[in-house]
Amino acid sequence: MGLLNLNHLLWGISIAILLAIYLRSRSRPTIEVSSLLLFDEAAAPAARVRHLRIDPLFWLEMAMLAALTLALGGLYIRTTRGAARGRNRALVFDLAAGMGAREGRGTRLDAAKKQALAIVNSASPRDRFSIIGYALDAEMIHPETSNRDAIRRAIAGLKPMAVPARRAAQSSALMRARAANDVELFADRRPPDSIISDAGLGSTVSFHQSGAPAENVAMVSLDPGIVLSTRGRAVLKNFGQKPRTCELAIETAGKEIFNQTLVLAPREQVMVAFGPLTTGGMIDARILTGDALAADNDRYAYAAVDRAARVLLLSPDATVRDDLARVLLAESGSFIIASADPAKFHSDERYALAVMHDCYVADVKADSTLLIYPPPSSADRVRGLLITGTTPSAMMTNQGRIDASATPTLLGSTRTLSVPEWMTAKATGTAPGAHEMIALAASGALSSGQFGVIAFDVRNHLLLDPDRLDALVATVDLIRELTAPPLLHIVATGTFLAIPAPDDAQVTAPDGSIVATSRDEWGRLRLRPVEPGDYTIESASGNYHVYANYYDAFESDLTALAVPSSPEPKKPDHELRSAASPKQVQPLAAILIAFAAIALILESGLLMRSARRWRMGHV
Amino acid sequence: MLEAHAFEPEFLRRLDRLVLGVRRSRTVRAGQRTIGRVQGLGIEPENFKEYAEGDDLRFLDWNAYARLDDLLIRTYRAERQVEITVMIDASASMAMPARDDKFGLARALAATFAYIGMAENDAVRMISFSARRDGARLKVTPFYRRREQYQSYKPFLAELKCEGETRLSAAVSEMLLQRRPAGVVMLISDFLVNQTDFEEAMLHLLGTHQEVKLVHVMGEMESEGSYPPGLYRIRDSESGEIREVAFGPELAAACRSRVAAIAERIREFCLSHAIVYAQAFGARHFDAILERELPVMGVIR
Repeated sequence: MGLLNLNHLLWGISIAILLAIYLRSRSRPTIEVSSLLLFDEAAAPAARVRHLRIDPLFWLEMAMLAALTLALGGLYIRTTRGAARGRNRALVFDLAAGMGAREGRGTRLDAAKKQALAIVNSASPRDRFSIIGYALDAEMIHPETSNRDAIRRAIAGLKPMAVPARRAAQSSALMRARAANDVELFADRRPPDSIISDAGLGSTVSFHQSGAPAENVAMVSLDPGIVLSTRGRAVLKNFGQKPRTCELAIETAGKEIFNQTLVLAPREQVMVAFGPLTTGGMIDARILTGDALAADNDRYAYAAVDRAARVLLLSPDATVRDDLARVLLAESGSFIIASADPAKFHSDERYALAVMHDCYVADVKADSTLLIYPPPSSADRVRGLLITGTTPSAMMTNQGRIDASATPTLLGSTRTLSVPEWMTAKATGTAPGAHEMIALAASGALSSGQFGVIAFDVRNHLLLDPDRLDALVATVDLIRELTAPPLLHIVATGTFLAIPAPDDAQVTAPDGSIVATSRDEWGRLRLRPVEPGDYTIESASGNYHVYANYYDAFESDLTALAVPSSPEPKKPDHELRSAASPKQVQPLAAILIAFAAIALILESGLLMRSARRWRMGHV
Repeated sequence: MLEAHAFEPEFLRRLDRLVLGVRRSRTVRAGQRTIGRVQGLGIEPENFKEYAEGDDLRFLDWNAYARLDDLLIRTYRAERQVEITVMIDASASMAMPARDDKFGLARALAATFAYIGMAENDAVRMISFSARRDGARLKVTPFYRRREQYQSYKPFLAELKCEGETRLSAAVSEMLLQRRPAGVVMLISDFLVNQTDFEEAMLHLLGTHQEVKLVHVMGEMESEGSYPPGLYRIRDSESGEIREVAFGPELAAACRSRVAAIAERIREFCLSHAIVYAQAFGARHFDAILERELPVMGVIR
């Protein structure tokens, strides 16, 4: 029991006023009479003195005012919902990659499903269930229902995704379960206490641990190297507590070019060199030795074909042209770079990539265009792009990576961009003294070609400054994206992908499932791969391939089942209680107001009766 | 104040021809200084009679004997020795309710009776009485016989204050202790005392051969019970006792009934003991009271 708004208790002054009126009416005036002999025949009760007499009108008014005051103060009680109404129970599932780890015959998610089904089967018929899943995002998989079959079907349909579980998604999932009386959390690792408390649940969280510590070797990264030039590198890590043997195989164009059996020490990360490759194309590196988590055993990379690509570099500043040329050549030595002052440039040739710094030349023919620090006059040339101003400096805080925690990088003069919907911000930051995020790098594709925009100025050798390496990384990433083969995309699982396509298409997932997709208003097919492997997009204009790689150091570590938490006393593993009381807050305002209304009606009735008795019709 | 009215010339003119009747004036008690119209020592000759054995030879008319040779005894009209005592209750109850001016009425009546009593040069005095813890407290005026001295009562009456309790028997005892000759005692009070005290006082007066005339004074409000309606705490002006009452029609009826009962009880006692009893309820009706009650009190024209 408590009060939601203590300030409103000031209305209780009305009770004090009523009491004062009552006591004042009680304090009879004293008059002196000649003798009490004259009042011997007066009625005896009038002479009695009581501190609080039985005055129904007074007590009814007092009760009414007290009830209204408490209602305004927000009186509530903590109750559990009556058993007769059944309980709302939320089944929250971790659907991240870790839940796809195999244990025995099934996965951790399968074990969680069994536990959930056991709960559903043993629940009261009046209980209602809802199913919530989370990985990168939280999703209400099935709303609250008492239909057992629907719940069982929804549980059976749960699949793990090859993506990491974000804490924000976990917190969001628990927040969605706020309305539930009981929250059953199925995950392979215990959530931090802060997430439970931040969710503000009014109920008990029962944590169901899925799985036990397991051995896993993951492919951390794959670099194909430069064809016929430099060796490629594959990085593997043993997340187990024991030495582990694994066989690494690398294929290109269906032909195995590398196979090696490695012995990895506990928690060891090794880099395996291979090549150099003799031909370009897709490279598929696989760990053939079976382990608990298969999603991180396969990785794709694209070895660029060494072909001469013509790149145009335009900038009014010669030093910027020089810096950008160095970056482009570092990315690919086969680039043929033509640099010029935009004021003096004129050419009818077609380029694979046109990089324009602080200028825009409209009649340049290029497959891809990268605008760096574009002048405001160029905005109307790119569809939907708006340049609203220039800030003298900016802080790059996020490069668009998942869970990025890079140190902010101070940039120089920066254009303030309004990125159109068809473009995706790759890096963001803030202007000094402002809180709104601004896009610092963005890219997108239209049927006319690919576009990239970098908002910050790269003068004064910004790209070569080791203290501002993030600016260089963002630039290189955009150059790679713009020079990548248009029909081939290699992305991390969970990435939103927009592929320009002339027609609707159907997508064949790595597991063989086929989904028809339609183009958006920008003429793009949107895709978010959540399984590692090859997604084939078939359309009338041709086939696209999207290769999805998965690796997450936290999720792939199957031995780490506990999340480091604050040094608070450890709570029972099975049942975690949120910071709030498990009981439900039940405001009593309606009851109190009804009580006050009844008191008022009773008082009115008594007054009318008395008025009738005293023959005072006006009352 | 009403007592001032009793000293107004216009009012006194109305009283000039009134005389206070004294019943015992016709009783003869030879050889004693008694009240009444008796033969005896005096200066006003009344008649002659033949000498009889035992007559006082000092009243023998020697001149008639020398001339007529008859023994004649000269009789004289004795001097009137009627002492009128007007007792005024000056207890605290006489001041309540203040709006009724009950004490003013009592003082006006006392002055009126004194003035009438002085019509035949009777000795009239006033006594106010109240009681304190240490006993009865009397304030007494000298005897005044002539109406020229009537104004002497005015400061006495004006200075009277109501205080203390009403103890009739104690006051009567104190008065008789100071002077016992029989006379007329006119007692003006609200008689809000217990019946025992009242009867004891009356019997004491009667036992000393006083001719007792009672004037029962009450205020209009208290006799009617017409207090403003509502809940009140009432305090007895004499005892200080407190009660809570709800004034209203019911209580007013109860008050009227109670006053009537008290008056009736006094009246019955007076009737059975040859005491004159008159009611003076309501100062507002002073003139009417005089017109109605003066004959009752034995006032004759």
